[in-house]
Amino acid sequence: MGLFRPAKTVASPSGDYWELYVSKTALPGWRSSDAGDTGIGQAGALPQLALLELPLALVSFLWSGVLVPLVRMIVLLPVAVVRGRRSHAVRIEAITTFPERKALLWTTTDAHAPRVLDEIVAGLAQGKVVQPEGAVYSGTE
Amino acid sequence: MLGRAIAFVRAGVPVRRLRAYGRDGADAYDLFDRLERGPARAAAWNAYVCQTYADKLVQAGERIGLVPFDTVRMVRALYALVDAWLVVAQGGEAAGARLDLELPAWGTPVRSREQLVGMRETLYALRTCVAFDLQGRAEPGADLAAVDKALEAVDALWIERPSPELRGGIGDALASGIRKACVLGCELAGGG
Repeated sequence: MGLFRPAKTVASPSGDYWELYVSKTALPGWRSSDAGDTGIGQAGALPQLALLELPLALVSFLWSGVLVPLVRMIVLLPVAVVRGRRSHAVRIEAITTFPERKALLWTTTDAHAPRVLDEIVAGLAQGKVVQPEGAVYSGTE
Repeated sequence: MLGRAIAFVRAGVPVRRLRAYGRDGADAYDLFDRLERGPARAAAWNAYVCQTYADKLVQAGERIGLVPFDTVRMVRALYALVDAWLVVAQGGEAAGARLDLELPAWGTPVRSREQLVGMRETLYALRTCVAFDLQGRAEPGADLAAVDKALEAVDALWIERPSPELRGGIGDALASGIRKACVLGCELAGGG
């Protein structure tokens, strides 16, 4: 069971390639803050001023688009890992990236995880999204 | 102690206050047993379902002494239904009346641990009652398989610290099982 290595891979009849990840940890999402919206380049602003605002926009982007989400991730990740280790819940994510990214999520328990994973793989191999017993299908993430 | 502190921060209604509110409908337990099969007994069954459901939800909150507000809304809606169905059962209005019980909806998709405990206890109680009512029936027809399937689905997902996704799934299975037990019980009570 690993966060970054697929437990299984499968190709559907339509050619979609799915990677299945089994983990106990729900990774916190990467969320940018809205503070980066500085309103640069809005109608009515002088072009000379816009040039001066460029460094400000870069700092603002780094702050709200990189630094804040990174700190949030660093703080929340250990909490998510500890919570996952204490729980008997298991997440199974099926991810395909082509032609567009799509992620499907099932949640099951330790006891049912191997069987549920096998049933999901068998279903995807036939081009179906199954809903095995002992698991909750939450749809696309 | 910690539970009480959490409940204080979350805010809710003390269990004893809700218990007092539900005492009016305590007749529902007796009435269902006393009546002969027919529309009045079916109405009494509906009152019994609502009383059991509400009582079990309150009981599940006993551990922390307070019942959270979303549970309180559900419990009060259920107790109101108990009163309405008792009037139908006792007032002789059941004959010719629509006896379908529409249970109140929760309004949110994910249930808390305590709510799930209350719902599960309700389903066990209704299942026991329906199984008892099925005994001695010569003709096949109504059966417990659908209720048992819902219980199996719940048991398969029941773990110590369920994630929100699991709680959502357990809650759906429990709500479906309660609905099925409710319909089956009403059918049996009505003599169907």
